[in-house]
Amino acid sequence: MFYQKTIEQIKTDTRPSSAGAKAFYNNPKYRGWIYQSLLLIFLIAFFYSIISNTLSNMAAQGIKSGFGFMTTSAGFDVLMSLIPFETTDSYTKVFIIGILNTILVSIIGVICSTMLGFIFGIAYFSRNWLIKKISIIYVETFRNIPVILQVLFWYTAVLTTLPSTRDSLSIGEAFFLNIRGLYIPRLIDEPKSFVVYIAIVIAIVAIFFLRRWARKRQDLTGEQFPLIWSSLGILLGLPLLALFIAGVPFHFEYPELKGFNFQGGINVIPELMALAIAMSIYTGAFIAEAVRAGIQSVPHGQTEAARSIGLKERKIMSLIIVPQAMRVITPMLNSEYQSLVKNTTIATAIGYPELFTVFAGSALNQVGQAIEMMFMSLAIYFALNMMISFIMNQFNKRVAITTR
Amino acid sequence: MPIKEFKPLPAQPAPVSTTGPIAWLKNNLFSSPFNIVATLLILSGLFLILPGLIDWLFISANWTGTTQDACVDDGACWVFIRAWSQQIFYGSYPSGELWRVNLCLFLLAVVIYLSFILPINLRNKVAIPAFLALPFVCLLFLDGRYLGLEYVNTDYWGGFSLNILLAAASIIIAFPFGFLWALGRRSNLPFAQSVSVICIEFFRGTPVLALFFMGSVMLPLFFPEGVTVDKLLRVWIILILFMSAYMAEVFRSGFQAIPNGQYEAADSIGLGYWQKTFFIIFPQVIKVSMPNILATFIMVFKNTVFLLVIAVPEILQVILGALTNSKWLGGHATEGFLFVALVFWACCYSMSMLSTSIEKKLDTSHKH
Amino acid sequence: MNTDHQASIHNMNEDIIVIKNLNKWYGNFHVLRDINLTVKKGERIVICGPSGSGKSTTIRCINRLEEFQRGSLTVNGVEMIDDVKNIEAIRKEVGMVFQHFNLFPHLTILENLTLGPIWVQKKPKEEAKAIAMKYLERVKIPDQANKFPGQLSGGQQQRVAIARSLCMSPEIMLFDEPTSALDPEMIKEVLDVMVELADEGMTMLCVTHEMGFAKTVADRVIFMDGGEIVEQNTPDTFFDHPETDRLQLFLSQILQH
Repeated sequence: MFYQKTIEQIKTDTRPSSAGAKAFYNNPKYRGWIYQSLLLIFLIAFFYSIISNTLSNMAAQGIKSGFGFMTTSAGFDVLMSLIPFETTDSYTKVFIIGILNTILVSIIGVICSTMLGFIFGIAYFSRNWLIKKISIIYVETFRNIPVILQVLFWYTAVLTTLPSTRDSLSIGEAFFLNIRGLYIPRLIDEPKSFVVYIAIVIAIVAIFFLRRWARKRQDLTGEQFPLIWSSLGILLGLPLLALFIAGVPFHFEYPELKGFNFQGGINVIPELMALAIAMSIYTGAFIAEAVRAGIQSVPHGQTEAARSIGLKERKIMSLIIVPQAMRVITPMLNSEYQSLVKNTTIATAIGYPELFTVFAGSALNQVGQAIEMMFMSLAIYFALNMMISFIMNQFNKRVAITTR
Repeated sequence: MPIKEFKPLPAQPAPVSTTGPIAWLKNNLFSSPFNIVATLLILSGLFLILPGLIDWLFISANWTGTTQDACVDDGACWVFIRAWSQQIFYGSYPSGELWRVNLCLFLLAVVIYLSFILPINLRNKVAIPAFLALPFVCLLFLDGRYLGLEYVNTDYWGGFSLNILLAAASIIIAFPFGFLWALGRRSNLPFAQSVSVICIEFFRGTPVLALFFMGSVMLPLFFPEGVTVDKLLRVWIILILFMSAYMAEVFRSGFQAIPNGQYEAADSIGLGYWQKTFFIIFPQVIKVSMPNILATFIMVFKNTVFLLVIAVPEILQVILGALTNSKWLGGHATEGFLFVALVFWACCYSMSMLSTSIEKKLDTSHKH
Repeated sequence: MNTDHQASIHNMNEDIIVIKNLNKWYGNFHVLRDINLTVKKGERIVICGPSGSGKSTTIRCINRLEEFQRGSLTVNGVEMIDDVKNIEAIRKEVGMVFQHFNLFPHLTILENLTLGPIWVQKKPKEEAKAIAMKYLERVKIPDQANKFPGQLSGGQQQRVAIARSLCMSPEIMLFDEPTSALDPEMIKEVLDVMVELADEGMTMLCVTHEMGFAKTVADRVIFMDGGEIVEQNTPDTFFDHPETDRLQLFLSQILQH
């Protein structure tokens, strides 16, 4: 009797919290729900207080809400615009100009940084000690200096020290570089210029078919076709031929000094130049690093195996190294391009009129509707980044490996 | 048959044509026609640029003096940097109280040093609370009001010390937030997960400059009427949120690097979710994430310069202010920017070296 | 002269690889010391020795994966000099199988095999595929043709690697520790393929620790240590009557169990 009782006692004592185990709050499932409800309550309280604070603050400061301002006239001028703009135009137009300028500098940045990145990334593997060192110095210098400092450096320390318009640096009286930026000749179409454009289209289509034909011929006969050189030949030759057949249906509008300023041609303002140069060099350093990592991720055994079956070095590069390296490089390129687009906002520091400067800056200062205008701007950056992400993912699918 | 004794052939020196400086030059600089041309081009470029650059930077540079008039030679005017050095480093913080800023920097260095040298069993117990307390201790000292020291308004805080302290304070407070968001993103609670994902993606997808702008134009609207929140505090909040999003992603990849066996082992000895997370998983995540944490810190450290856009007197803003000072209108932008670039480069480069060495160590300790 | 050469191709006693006084340095480290080796057509040679003895380096010199600084090396009458044409000509004659297979992970098995025939031998695709399938059948995995290397076991991958080399119809096959990275149960399937290849009269140089393979297949076994050839002999003499104390020690260490 006594003995049994003890056993029973021991059992109840040692069973870990027998009562608690049945309690609902120890069930992981309910626990999860409790945490989530707490989170929900916190968020509701948080947003409730923010929204009520904001509303009362806005009422107190007399800030309007809604999107009525989009149709009112902006009343300020924009430094540079890809579409015609006058001070009487609406904020909607300012918004669009901002977007276009952002896209312009992003595209220039993406193209130039990719070229710089691939050149310096590949230079790392040069057998020339100097070239390799230059690649390392480039990457380690420029990625470790804040990009905004680089922008200011190019803008303030380099471009504003250029000569005045009267003493412009010029190449062949066609290109002029001075404190107001770079002036380049503008290409003006004449009536028959369409012939050349058609020739360009035909050349692109022809290269497409040439590639298919070359591939088919190689499949059937094994013979290889010098695709790159012949494509280049067609791409250059055909439009050139059309150009001369049509009697050069273009002329250049050269920039000319009239009074204190240049007229005609295309003017690249120093703000755009500084921003594009700095962004390209900065992002290029990161891309170079990505390219280096990508190429290094391909084991040396791959090259050795390709050599042992007798592939030439150039074919080893294009058939073995590049396809494998691109799988590593593409995702990194994706994030570098996205940060490039986000970094274009530093244009504010030098006044290049991209979206952030003209809309979230100048326009917001006048209208004062911070919430609407900030979110409109943010939406554009998110949209641009999603677009980059989409394109790069499509590209990634082509280079991705099915299984490893 | 008698066994012969094997006598190894003596090692011979490598032929002179394959070792030594001449062979090195031949292999590394003149190995092919292309390389010969490239080498010559680069060398001639260096000969064109370097002498003038060295002359401007050092030989003809002006090193001594206190005013712009001291800059008589053609070279760089380092007097500019000298004259403004206190501002560049401490902003407008009162000269007599600079020890407070130095103390904060010293404390930061001590805590970082401690976290490296403490034995493993003490490291998490001592270093983590010390890190978390640090920003608030620094706040008390810099502000001074509650310690009976002279009150220094945040408008006077500035310079490079502000860049350092702000970046450090942000990443420290971002640690717990980032970890929480990363846990949320990994958890199987649908609502918690989507909240985490939205937070992370919003703060990662927004340009940091836009966040600073929001901090200065939108954040004030969120606080109750009549409450004014200090500008630096708003910036700090923004930086913390921004960092948390990046840290969350760092931790997420850290979680993924941890073998599943660790979770199973933790489950098998009967640890609860929070115990498992903090005692088993967290230390390992920190360890494998260290290189990425450093990379994130380098990023935020560089991004503190963006604060000049909203007129926070960090290092570059000080330089820009100095450039427009009526006594220094001689155009010293190049010197100023080069100096700031050098300071940032030295800091970021040494941190990225550290990160690479940690990465290598981790690599070998995984492979044995 | 030319006719002599033509005639001698059919002579089984022709020297297909001639290595004379080969010396190689890594920086100042003397890795290969006066290697002299002549291989006859159809000969099967096994090279063994402790690690770091230079055995892999020796065979990697034969297809110029490693350069050497002194001495001469002739493969099938072509001298290995610093000339792209010569290197290409030699690589066409020499196939190589690696310790870690080195299959191309981004290509299917079939694509791995047809890569050489299409891009080096300039064969039509269908013909290249037919060749590839022929060799895949010989290594007994034709059903894996459309998989990727990562989906195959180690033994299967190594057999694919052998087939990839064979597709180039080489005169000589080099094996660089082909079974060292394999699980024990997979070694046999690879060795079986190698034995079959040896029976067909392929000239083979194998760096391997598989002494059973050496005893049954090799015409000659070479022992290297410290970058030099210490001893070479027929397998019987090599294993039963080693001439030097160094080989005796080596054999006693590896044959203990």
